[in-house]
Amino acid sequence: MFPQSSQNKFWMFSDENDLTILREKTNAEFIEKHGANMTLEQKEEHFLSNTEERTLLRFYELQLRDFCRRFNPSMPRPTVATALHYFKRFYIKNSVMDYHPKEILVTCVYLACKVEEFNVSISQFVANIKGDRDKASDIILNNELLLMQHLNYNLTIHNPFRPVEGLMIDIKTRYTSLENPEKLRQHIDEFLERVFLTDSVLLYAPSQVALAATLHAASRASANLDNYVTDILFSREQLGGIIEAVRKIRSMAKCVEPPSREVIKALEKKLDKCRNQENNPDSEIYKQRMQEMLDEEDLQDNERYAKIIQDQAAYDDKILGVNKILSPIL
Amino acid sequence: MDDQACPRCKTTKYRNPSLKMMVNVCGHTLCESCVDLLFLKGSGACPECKIPLRRTNFRVQMFEDSMVEKEVNIRKRILRDFNKREEDFSSLREYNDYLEEIETIIYNLANNIDVAETNKKIELYKKDNKEQIAKSKSKIARSEYELDEMIELEKQKEEEKRKELVKEEIEAKKRKIRDKAALIDELSFSDSNATSIIESFTSVIQKKEAKVPVKATQFSTGIKFGNQGNQSYLSVPKIEEGPLYSYTPIRQQIEGPSPPGWREIQARGYVSHVRNECDRDRAGGFKAHVACLRALQEAMAGLYHNPSQRQAEFATV
Repeated sequence: MFPQSSQNKFWMFSDENDLTILREKTNAEFIEKHGANMTLEQKEEHFLSNTEERTLLRFYELQLRDFCRRFNPSMPRPTVATALHYFKRFYIKNSVMDYHPKEILVTCVYLACKVEEFNVSISQFVANIKGDRDKASDIILNNELLLMQHLNYNLTIHNPFRPVEGLMIDIKTRYTSLENPEKLRQHIDEFLERVFLTDSVLLYAPSQVALAATLHAASRASANLDNYVTDILFSREQLGGIIEAVRKIRSMAKCVEPPSREVIKALEKKLDKCRNQENNPDSEIYKQRMQEMLDEEDLQDNERYAKIIQDQAAYDDKILGVNKILSPIL
Repeated sequence: MDDQACPRCKTTKYRNPSLKMMVNVCGHTLCESCVDLLFLKGSGACPECKIPLRRTNFRVQMFEDSMVEKEVNIRKRILRDFNKREEDFSSLREYNDYLEEIETIIYNLANNIDVAETNKKIELYKKDNKEQIAKSKSKIARSEYELDEMIELEKQKEEEKRKELVKEEIEAKKRKIRDKAALIDELSFSDSNATSIIESFTSVIQKKEAKVPVKATQFSTGIKFGNQGNQSYLSVPKIEEGPLYSYTPIRQQIEGPSPPGWREIQARGYVSHVRNECDRDRAGGFKAHVACLRALQEAMAGLYHNPSQRQAEFATV
């Protein structure tokens, strides 16, 4: 369950401020590394700032959601939620300029499909991508291990969907004065969609998100759940914390708005210039490095083979006392 | 695959399903009817290698490859004489050398290498080790004899056991009839309550039955427990046993209001709000309770989660 999970232990942050600090640090580190000999103004000119990164990421989160919606065969919601979770986690400790979000995006979805047991093969998966499919599958498979490594192999994600079910069962059982609880569902689903585009999943427990969704849905459907929360679910002393959390989650979900197209275009252009070329599969540096790695492997194989041959010859020599076994035919 | 054919009359297994291939010491095959024909007199030459053969030495071919057949045959013959065992040698090395030598002889004979020389060697060995061969043969015979004896003994025991069982059964039947009669007598002549009489009788019978089991001294095969002692088996090593494992239920930290338990879900009607499991689900041991319980637990777990508390925790670390 959640309290013992790696999600709670390693991937929960205290507040938005905390997240901002971490992201700023990541951004600064990248600029420090790649722009060491530039002046401050040059740096600002050349690299993306933290807020610009955030805008780009928000855009790509929407992209991710849309990609999953269009996905064929249709993808279950927990898979989408998990993919978004991975995406957020990855960019807390990595800069957008280091790894391009469009590559990490598909990799996150692919990994989420596996973890959430939504079985698609890579060819089936790539069929949903426009453009060069071979290249896409190369990118995904190359990045998959990298992604897992950066997620610290904490792959289990606790999503709020099951807690929502639990709350519904509980409401139906213990709060019978509410008529037709099923009418809340539609609003709950809408709310959860939006929650996943915010940072609240990195700050609050899935059950809290579920509760916030339910309460939000109740207010939308003009149903009253206040008595359920105050009298049945919580005791007095615990009430303060949860009200605060629910209020925060709801307010965060309110201010989700897609960034404008022009801004994104400008930012992408900037990103193309300043991104880390070593991780760009189209760049010369990347290709060169890959080639070197391949050569190295070949070389290693050859060396190993030569050594085996030598060992064998030495062994034959020792056993038979002749340098070469002469073929009887020759 | 069925291209087994007689080299002389060219009959195949396909044409004659009852075809039986025979093989003699030289390793060349012939079908049964050809053997009948060629070896009418009891002896003749192999049509392929012209070696004089005796009819009595023909056997049904067991292996498809007649060379294998030949080798098996030779091996059997050689091992009858070369029958030393590992105990007869002072070291493993010597024993291995001996085995190696046997293999060389068999290989030579099977592949027609230095046949005359090898045969001479065998003769020499036979002469040198006449006494030893005879002894080993008798030894093998004796061990077989012992085995026979053991089987005989076992059979005897089984018979005894069976008889005893029959006797016991008859005894039990008699006792039951007796008890019944006593009960009816009691019921018809006593003044006390009928149910109490029946109760007292049943308790007496139960007590008797409880006494019956006797501590078993034999395995179900009839071999006594302690019997292995005089045989040369290695005793089973005793495993040091630690303290017995005792189960302690897992305590989950909830960090929220405590969810209802397995019983409560049923009693308070939580289960009625989830889809009922169908027969197919139940076959795998699944119940709707599981899903219900899990959903409720996850709904409650972490509700008290407080991000700002974490900060305090981090600060102390």
